[in-house]
Amino acid sequence: MTNHLAVPSRAAQMILAAVLVAPTYVAAQSAVAVRDANTKSANARAKATATTKGWTMSRTPDGQPDLHGYWTSESFTPLERPAKYAGREFLTDKEAEEAQKTGLQRGYDRTYDDPVEEPVYDSTTFGLTPALEGFSPNKRTSLIVDPPDGRLPPRTPEALKRPRAIGDRDYIEPDGHGGGIVHADTPRDIGMRTTCVSMSGGPPILPGAYNNGLYIMQNSNYIVLQAEYGSELRIISLDGRPHVSPNIRRWHGDGRGHWEGDTLVVETTNFRPEATFRNANPKTLKITERFRRIAADQIEYSFTIDDPSTWTKPWTAIVPLHAIKGPFFEYACSESNMDVVNIMAGARATEKAAASEKPAAPTKK
Amino acid sequence: MRHNLRNIALTFAIAGALLIPAGHTPAAAQSAATAGSRVPTPGQFPPYKAPRTADGKPDFSGIWQAFVTADVDVQDHDAQAGPHPDIMGAYGAWPGGQGIVEGGEIPYKPEALAQKKANAEKRMVVNITSDPHRHDTGDPELKCYNPGVPRANYMPFPFQIIQGTDTILFSYEFARAVRTIYMNPNDKTIPQDPPADSWMGWSHGHFEGDTLVIDTTGFVPYTWFDRAGDYHSDALHVVERYTQVSPYHIMYEATIEDPNVFTRPWKVSFPLYRRMEKNIQLVDFNCTEFVLDLLYGQYSKRPTK
Repeated sequence: MTNHLAVPSRAAQMILAAVLVAPTYVAAQSAVAVRDANTKSANARAKATATTKGWTMSRTPDGQPDLHGYWTSESFTPLERPAKYAGREFLTDKEAEEAQKTGLQRGYDRTYDDPVEEPVYDSTTFGLTPALEGFSPNKRTSLIVDPPDGRLPPRTPEALKRPRAIGDRDYIEPDGHGGGIVHADTPRDIGMRTTCVSMSGGPPILPGAYNNGLYIMQNSNYIVLQAEYGSELRIISLDGRPHVSPNIRRWHGDGRGHWEGDTLVVETTNFRPEATFRNANPKTLKITERFRRIAADQIEYSFTIDDPSTWTKPWTAIVPLHAIKGPFFEYACSESNMDVVNIMAGARATEKAAASEKPAAPTKK
Repeated sequence: MRHNLRNIALTFAIAGALLIPAGHTPAAAQSAATAGSRVPTPGQFPPYKAPRTADGKPDFSGIWQAFVTADVDVQDHDAQAGPHPDIMGAYGAWPGGQGIVEGGEIPYKPEALAQKKANAEKRMVVNITSDPHRHDTGDPELKCYNPGVPRANYMPFPFQIIQGTDTILFSYEFARAVRTIYMNPNDKTIPQDPPADSWMGWSHGHFEGDTLVIDTTGFVPYTWFDRAGDYHSDALHVVERYTQVSPYHIMYEATIEDPNVFTRPWKVSFPLYRRMEKNIQLVDFNCTEFVLDLLYGQYSKRPTK
């Protein structure tokens, strides 16, 4: 299976990793489930359209635009504009519907194809999420809106030479294919997502293969963004205080927010080297996010990546956030991490098997 | 501003109260005032009304921390050397302290008391398997797991209460644990009963006057109350009461009920202190990174344990 989930490839790799190591599929339940999922999706879209008409923005008791609630960044739109859409910012209605259908189909395929005898995960818990939650098609040809060609700006010579940070590795090679296990000599070889050291959670908020939910809660002094994936929180103060010292480096950076009219603007710095977005420079990376509620069921979320030592110019993407039904459940990752045990025990078993096939090495002193 | 006015008013009230009975010379009044600002008596707070949120609820926002030693043992205990004193020295020693359990003793069933003792003996025996037997031994704190309730509240780390309209979030620095307290009983999208067992439980909250009352169930049976092996089953039910008693203190009380383990419900109580450093904020204590070798070292190519 080729990885078509263009954003973000790291998260998709983690899923592949989980799937490959601990095969997870249940046998297809039936075509009925697919049909039901389709119907729910259509209903959700119809409802979304209806509620958007005549919408007025609700506000918190202290007058802020109300961002509170459960949202998803689920998307079938690639981060970068595919070559076939060069020069086009938007799809036609027909193309957008097609893209939506293809995306949903991919979820079904992942869920129902290639069933294994003894499933460990139930893939239906995430493969059908886009269909079950429902979200309206995105007419953009890429999430990146600046540069105007919808493509990442070139990396700087310095960035091209920069090695990947220790910890920001997974044991699957970047091509994402099954044979790509590099090594699992120690748990540190496995990568921080699989070891549950740090999951996603941003910034920026970009959809991965599953658990793309976001819970937003707010009061006069704070905005809190909780990723469904990993349950990790970003607590963003709105009181104008300065960033923490550069000597404090945070797993999700150090975020500071303010309101510009009805738009929430969050600036984040102080990233950890091993958890810096797309191998940027943790010392120079600044991510600016904007949240603007544009409908009962949608927040327009954009982020700008500014790191002159990594990209030749800043770049910006728009990721629609769609309202979904809550609540989220606790994601206690390390507490039930079977993957690391299985990956490492598997690696040791493989080595043992390989050693027993070879003639015994001559012992000499 | 409101606080300042209140403080000024309070100052006048105290001054007035002192001046009237004294009724002598300014010098006498001054001396009386000095005598009047007595060292506070622990456990006693003057009457206090909590600040209010924009929607008129008692406002618990802030960064709070307990300063009891209950994470070592919720019952009375002496200081102890801690693990590996040969290399850890005083770094690894655990402080003594008075317990937080009302009446001093946890009312264990006899067989449960034996389990508590076994837990304590094997608190550092960590054997991580790919099945639930991984939870058979070892203190979850040692493994950097979610600390559960009420333990999260007396870990030696700060936590932040962020109060919204429909939910209150508790964000704990230790192991980035988080609790969502659902405050709106009319929100039918939020299940009343726990939809699944979890480490930090499923919590509904409401206000009783100025007290925030949180009712939590739906726990996994794997968290402990302390390093002494005090534990519970999945029938654990915790009712917490948070009452602000000064601008800088919350009195905390939790009633712990678990008929599988205890003969009756029992209570813990202690104050929480507001962290007052300028620009105080939580930082990360992402200890998962620090326990990788402890948890998985037995599977490494050169086993580290």
